[in-house]
Amino acid sequence: MRTVSAPILAALAALTLALVSASAETAPPPPLTVFAAASLSDAVAELAARYERDTKRSVRLSFASTSTLARQIENGAGADVFLSADEEWMAYLDERRLIAAGTWIRPIGNRLVMVAPTDRARAVELSKGFDLLALLGDGRLSTGDPVHVPAGRYAQQALEYFSVWDIAEPRLTRAENVRTALALVERGEAPLGIVYATDARASKSVRVVAEFPAASHEAIRYSFAVVSGHDRGGARELLAQFTSPDALEVFGKYGFVIP
Amino acid sequence: MLEFDCSLRQGHFSLEVAFSAPSPGVTALFGRSGAGKSTVVSLLSGLLAAARGRIVLEGTVLFDSAAGVNVPAEHRAVGCVFQDARLFPHLDVRHNLEYGLRRVRGRQAPIRFDAVVDLLGLAALLARRIRELSGGERQRVALGRALLAQPRLLLLDEPLASLDAERRDEVLPYLERLREQLGIPIVYVSHDFDEVLRLAEHLVLLDRGRIVASGPLREMCLSEELHAIVGASVIGSVLEGIADRIDAAERLATIRCDELSLRVALAQIEPGSRVRLYVPADDVLIALEPPRHVSARNILSVEITRLEILNGSVLVHLAVAGTTLLARITHSAVRELDLKAGKRCFALVKAVAAQGRRFDRRAVGP
Amino acid sequence: MFTPDEWQALRISLEVAARSVALSLPFAIAVAWLLARRPFFGRTLLDAAFHLPLVLPPVVVGYFLLLIFGSRGPIGAWLSEHFGLRLVFTTSGAALATAVMSFPLVVRAIRLSMENIDPGLEAAARTLGARGWDRFFSITLPLSLPGILAGGIVAFSASLGEFGAVITFVSNIPGETRTLSLALYTAIQTPDGDVAAVRIAALSVSLGLAGLLLSEWLARFARRRLGP
Repeated sequence: MRTVSAPILAALAALTLALVSASAETAPPPPLTVFAAASLSDAVAELAARYERDTKRSVRLSFASTSTLARQIENGAGADVFLSADEEWMAYLDERRLIAAGTWIRPIGNRLVMVAPTDRARAVELSKGFDLLALLGDGRLSTGDPVHVPAGRYAQQALEYFSVWDIAEPRLTRAENVRTALALVERGEAPLGIVYATDARASKSVRVVAEFPAASHEAIRYSFAVVSGHDRGGARELLAQFTSPDALEVFGKYGFVIP
Repeated sequence: MLEFDCSLRQGHFSLEVAFSAPSPGVTALFGRSGAGKSTVVSLLSGLLAAARGRIVLEGTVLFDSAAGVNVPAEHRAVGCVFQDARLFPHLDVRHNLEYGLRRVRGRQAPIRFDAVVDLLGLAALLARRIRELSGGERQRVALGRALLAQPRLLLLDEPLASLDAERRDEVLPYLERLREQLGIPIVYVSHDFDEVLRLAEHLVLLDRGRIVASGPLREMCLSEELHAIVGASVIGSVLEGIADRIDAAERLATIRCDELSLRVALAQIEPGSRVRLYVPADDVLIALEPPRHVSARNILSVEITRLEILNGSVLVHLAVAGTTLLARITHSAVRELDLKAGKRCFALVKAVAAQGRRFDRRAVGP
Repeated sequence: MFTPDEWQALRISLEVAARSVALSLPFAIAVAWLLARRPFFGRTLLDAAFHLPLVLPPVVVGYFLLLIFGSRGPIGAWLSEHFGLRLVFTTSGAALATAVMSFPLVVRAIRLSMENIDPGLEAAARTLGARGWDRFFSITLPLSLPGILAGGIVAFSASLGEFGAVITFVSNIPGETRTLSLALYTAIQTPDGDVAAVRIAALSVSLGLAGLLLSEWLARFARRRLGP
């Protein structure tokens, strides 16, 4: 092995040092991570894109059921901001001191609807004890799992309100999140589903066959907050952006309820 | 009667063989390794198809390339005993034996289970698993299995080649019994001349995919072609005769082969039984005058018919009483005794040198 | 000790695994036999195709199953129309998902066994009068038993652990498709579900250990009966 001459070594060292310091100077701030409920997929994706354009700061998004995300945060997942589809899960994290003080806000709401595949959609009359079984035939009712998915919980409340919960319970699909519940209806695997109005709007393959009155379920209010320990580095700013009047306009465009 | 006439080419090897084998009878296919013996067996069994040729067994056409006939192996009723036995490891001995018997379908099944078990001494082995059997036992089971499939032709492809000397000696008597009792033709492939001597009536000599010579064993033993293939020390003559007189005290038997009588060290034989004798050429001495006070029990007046030059020695063909003996001696002896065709002299054959075995042919069964 | 839901998940796991084995073995035997014979045109391609589930993410496999066997899929619609058979949301569908995922490994195990059979045995069987299918059932199949057994064990154990393909194809229906894996997943999402999660995990481990012991015993039994 030939020995590399000293001058060349020195030059290489200088070059390396220069490159390292250069990158250190122009290093961009680390990306922000947003955990958002599945039903917020489209709206938040748009808001995040805007944010990245405006601030030149990259945003990482993770969409899943509120329940999944909350449990991940509980187990130490590195989220900066959490956008939950209900208050319960936010309260769950709050009890465990996992959200930054004073950052919990409830900026938007949603409505609950019943949907069917477009080629089989017939309006459904919602009344106490309505014949859900006849409507389902031998199929299932597609909802999120009422045990942990907010959309599922709201659905359970609505079904209880109309006294058809006992009939419906064994026929639920118990999907992992509301978007999966929607997909099952879109593909015709389930003849009916209960999802948010915003989800129905986002899909061309399903049609709304009934709207659940607000009285039939607990108010659907999204909860947004910064995760505790992630309060520096721009999380609050992002949250502020996502709840600004411009942002609310975007939410409104997708069909969310702006109080 | 089996008629075989096939040719094929496999890579560098080309085979062109035509012969017939009588029925009943044992026809040995003899030759060096690579001569094509196993190929002939594969063609006979139907596991391989020749490029061109014809195989006819007792009038039934098994293969005819010109007519487009190729009876598949499973329909030929040609039994095979392979060198590696090929017993089914997941079946016990009984079920191995019964395998072919169960698949005989419409045909007659004159070869019976108990008879075969008896013939081959398998009674004690019936419940055993294959892996518990010795090499010799496996070959006997393989033989029994092939027989019970009611074959019209039996092929034995070097069945004793993978056995040690002791096991071979254990199995050979069963093969001899088989020869005596089986009414169908047997084709026996071997590169071991001793097995051929003990079992074959006819010999087909193969070398490099061609038939070099064929005929009854007695004649073949005298042929130059055979002498070129077997080792010089194995050369000898085969005689067949009847055991005339047994001298139990001396342990000597007198075998009469037509007009020739030979005294042979062979005590365990019944008077009147047919015997095959093998006289190695190395054990025959030639004298110009009958010697006196000599140990050899047979001193025969013979006439030299031919001097065959081998590699480093001379094979002298000696005619005596309608048959031929062979003597292998040195060139120097030939010169000194001035031996030449037509000369009369004496052949000395030791009683202990001649190897004799009972060689009966009793076709039992159809 | 365990809740009725947890026992139910165990029962579903065992049922799905058993059905998965019953479903995949016959096809795997056929495919293994095809691939173990002399080479034929397209064999390599076929071999690669059957290995796909091994290299694809389980969710992708589940998605393809949905496309083909879902209510609107070509085969799914046919099954539903002619046999009234639905696969989505059902135990049968879960079994299909796990069978597909484990198929390549099952085929391998059986094929290995088949390739180890002395071809001379089949030749001997032919000379004894055994025709094609006869040879397959009397020689090939019995001698492949160690491989088939190994394949069955693989199919069973892989089925117990399968998650992505199941949840994507047949969803997470308690009493139908909620196996132990899926039940564990649900427990993880559920508020204060950690205790249940640990219990289900413990149950899975015990099941796994029992399975391993059973497979070891079966393997020994096979060796004894079919050893050389």
